[in-house]
Amino acid sequence: MMNLNESNLLNTAEKLVDFARKNGADQAQISIGSGEEFTVEVLNKEIEKLTQAGSLGLGMKIIVDNKVATASTNDLDVDSLNGMILRTIERARLSNKDAFSGLPESVSEISDIDLMLFDNKIDDLSPEYKMNFALELERICLLDKRIVLSVGSYYSTQKSEHYLANSKGFSGSYKRSSCSSGIHLQAGDNNEKFEDGWFSTAINPDDMLSVESLSAKAVERAVRLIGARKIDSQLVPVIFEPGVTSSLLAFLSGTINGHSIYMNRSLFKDKLGENIAADKVNIKSDGLLPGKFGSKLFDAEGVASRNIDVIESGVLKSYLLDTYSGRKLDMQSTGNASGSNNFYLCPGNISLEAMIKSIDRGILITKLIGQGTNPVTGDISKGAFGLMIENGEISYPVHEITISGNLAVILKNIELIGNDFEWNRTIVGPSVKISELSISGK
Amino acid sequence: MILRKNYEEIFSINRDDISRLLGTALSKGGEFAELFFEYRISSSILMEEDIIKSSSENIIKGVGIRVINGLQTGYAYSNDLNLEKISKAALTAGSIANSNSKFRSINLDFKSTKNNGYDLKLPLSKEALQTKIELVKKTYSAALSYDIRIEKVSCGLGDELQFVTIANSNGLIISDLRPQTRLSVTVTAGDGKNRTTGFKSAGGRVGLGYYTDELLVETGKASSEEAIVLLGAVDAPSGEQVVVLSNEQSGVLIHEAIGHPLEADGVRKGASIMTGKLNEMVANPIVSIIEDPTISELRGSLNIDDEGTETEKVVLVEHGKLVGFMNDYLSAKALGHEMNGHARRESFSCSPIPRMNNTILLNGESTAEEIISSVKSGFFAKSFQGGMVNSTGKFTFSVNLGYMIEDGKLTQPIKNTTLIGSNIEILKRIDMVGDDMGFFLGSCGKDCQTVPVTCGTPTLRISKMTVGGTR
Repeated sequence: MMNLNESNLLNTAEKLVDFARKNGADQAQISIGSGEEFTVEVLNKEIEKLTQAGSLGLGMKIIVDNKVATASTNDLDVDSLNGMILRTIERARLSNKDAFSGLPESVSEISDIDLMLFDNKIDDLSPEYKMNFALELERICLLDKRIVLSVGSYYSTQKSEHYLANSKGFSGSYKRSSCSSGIHLQAGDNNEKFEDGWFSTAINPDDMLSVESLSAKAVERAVRLIGARKIDSQLVPVIFEPGVTSSLLAFLSGTINGHSIYMNRSLFKDKLGENIAADKVNIKSDGLLPGKFGSKLFDAEGVASRNIDVIESGVLKSYLLDTYSGRKLDMQSTGNASGSNNFYLCPGNISLEAMIKSIDRGILITKLIGQGTNPVTGDISKGAFGLMIENGEISYPVHEITISGNLAVILKNIELIGNDFEWNRTIVGPSVKISELSISGK
Repeated sequence: MILRKNYEEIFSINRDDISRLLGTALSKGGEFAELFFEYRISSSILMEEDIIKSSSENIIKGVGIRVINGLQTGYAYSNDLNLEKISKAALTAGSIANSNSKFRSINLDFKSTKNNGYDLKLPLSKEALQTKIELVKKTYSAALSYDIRIEKVSCGLGDELQFVTIANSNGLIISDLRPQTRLSVTVTAGDGKNRTTGFKSAGGRVGLGYYTDELLVETGKASSEEAIVLLGAVDAPSGEQVVVLSNEQSGVLIHEAIGHPLEADGVRKGASIMTGKLNEMVANPIVSIIEDPTISELRGSLNIDDEGTETEKVVLVEHGKLVGFMNDYLSAKALGHEMNGHARRESFSCSPIPRMNNTILLNGESTAEEIISSVKSGFFAKSFQGGMVNSTGKFTFSVNLGYMIEDGKLTQPIKNTTLIGSNIEILKRIDMVGDDMGFFLGSCGKDCQTVPVTCGTPTLRISKMTVGGTR
């Protein structure tokens, strides 16, 4: 395993910035990332695969006379790196002048709060512990007779370190740890099988689901689809489970990033300050939540992370911007050069059960498949699995249906927001009830 | 530059070193060891809003080490090609086996590739940046000048050269130099009321000669044409309909519906819906499907796979009957099949798994006109965002642009809809096959690994399929 000395890599990045400046770059930014992984995969009660490795990579952005070029490499030999910097400077000269290019004007004040992105406990987990966890997870799931096949379980731990330096004088680093485990199962019989599973992931191993809870959830998700039927096309109220809400939010986050806005590739262009969602909808992009995967002290350009109100009481308050798109739109970077950080729909106070009770005839959508999103129009069309709701109760599973709608309409049609909020991804939300949605079937 | 260099120069390692490393990997008793060395240089240019905004260069260098014992795999990788580092990684991978074995050195016999499926005469990676910028500019202006309603254009050109050397404990050592390029155009159109996007790409394992002026202009225009047609498109009607799939991109159907289920890892694990169906009729007898990496210069073409096996054409479905699978070392071993050159990996940090390359539903006898005019009322799918399948056989295709078929003619354009079905049913419902083979350039994701693929099909008629709409 690699043992990286933090100050050395940051120092390397700073030296390379100097080298670029001395050789003709007006501005330069160097980022270095290192990582270690250990993954065990289990299939049919045996260790199927063990992966263990460390990696190192470097990225650069060079600006000469407002012209931009970038490069990346994992060949960290000093001569190769210097050669790459010189080539990148030459390439930059062949780009066109872009008045909006350039590093952030000023060096961000980076907060000194501990974001708790790294937990030493990860080093206490022995390989045997990880193997046994994955083996046990599969063993428990297979005890359920309705499960006909395990597609495999895993346990994985990762550590990474991130370094960034630029010619404006920014220099910073942080590290992360994570562990994750999950399983995929097939339930049913030889005539028809249904596949689903579940996972758990955390920075601190203590926050992982127990092997019992994880297996119970995975089994429940697979077996509840047994006997799924096709249904007729209909327009009905639906409830999105948290995983489905998450994919809706992921689509939303793509439509409000600066590049989509200035390239006219978003239905939310020119919509700042407008009501784009139901009044009860509050969505944030927060890079500073302690202990959450989407948190980071600074983004890929060294701009300090912030807590941004994206939608407040239904009103679109902010786009997600990096320095370039900020300049294009005559706004400030929101510190989102690395993406949407922790992007979430604030939970409400109604339980999923109460939401189901509120529906006479509708569908609880449990999973989506396929691409089918168009950021320019907001159109959504995806395959779906779900559970039919009749008279306020779950009645039977459904499959081979599609949902069709438009993001703008769905956001307005959010009628209830659940309290079943869980931090298991960087883009998360609770269950939500949508007043009506088109379902296609037979 | 890596043209005309051998692995010893590129990876600073010699055959004896590799032989010893394989021995080290097997020192804990593993039965098979393999080293996958990779050096990949790729570059790209982006033109947006009338200027060349940026260019980039990316280098990937490293080695992946795999040790197999029974059906168990140990995997380790390193981007540092220092011998000591590789040796340590070899021990790590080797620890999947748990006994001590007498150190054995492996005799390696360098083999040349027999297939020759790439155009390496003028690889784009060797061309000056300025030459490539000119290609991008021509495409960009063809797209922008297509119609006054085209608001924004993004045009990118990417190219790469991947050099791999694969050695294993069976004595194989083999190298392959693989070019890859792709030109892509995305446009936004607006008419004051609606906004739409169009997309088109062109490329393969080709060189500068492929990018003729005609092709550049055609690619730019096609992207804009799609966006302009979509300005007048409406939502799809819901429910089951007769569906005609165009020859342009419908290879996605074959890829999802039959390709993935016939990758032998899913069969080995029993997870694939096609498990146990060998020699059964799985499709209408007018359907024959092959997987052929040896076709020259397509995006998915390969001379050898990522385990060093010579690639070969594999017949998957012959007149409706399932006759073949795509194998890698492990699956072939577990299932008692022959290896057939279909192991692929995204990079040295991933272990190989069975994958598609160029998956093709062979031409039939109908013309596209005959197929369309045979439909009284139905849906015509022209272009796609992509497709997805799960191992129980449920799949979706996301249609970007389609048309209604009324009385045998294409009428109203239809935007953004999804086709959904189960593969066992759909393959049997293909009831007309065109004679107009078309290829689609794709990138296929599986187990977190993305590889370039091609899918090919002529125009197809499906007797009944669910179209996801709002009407």
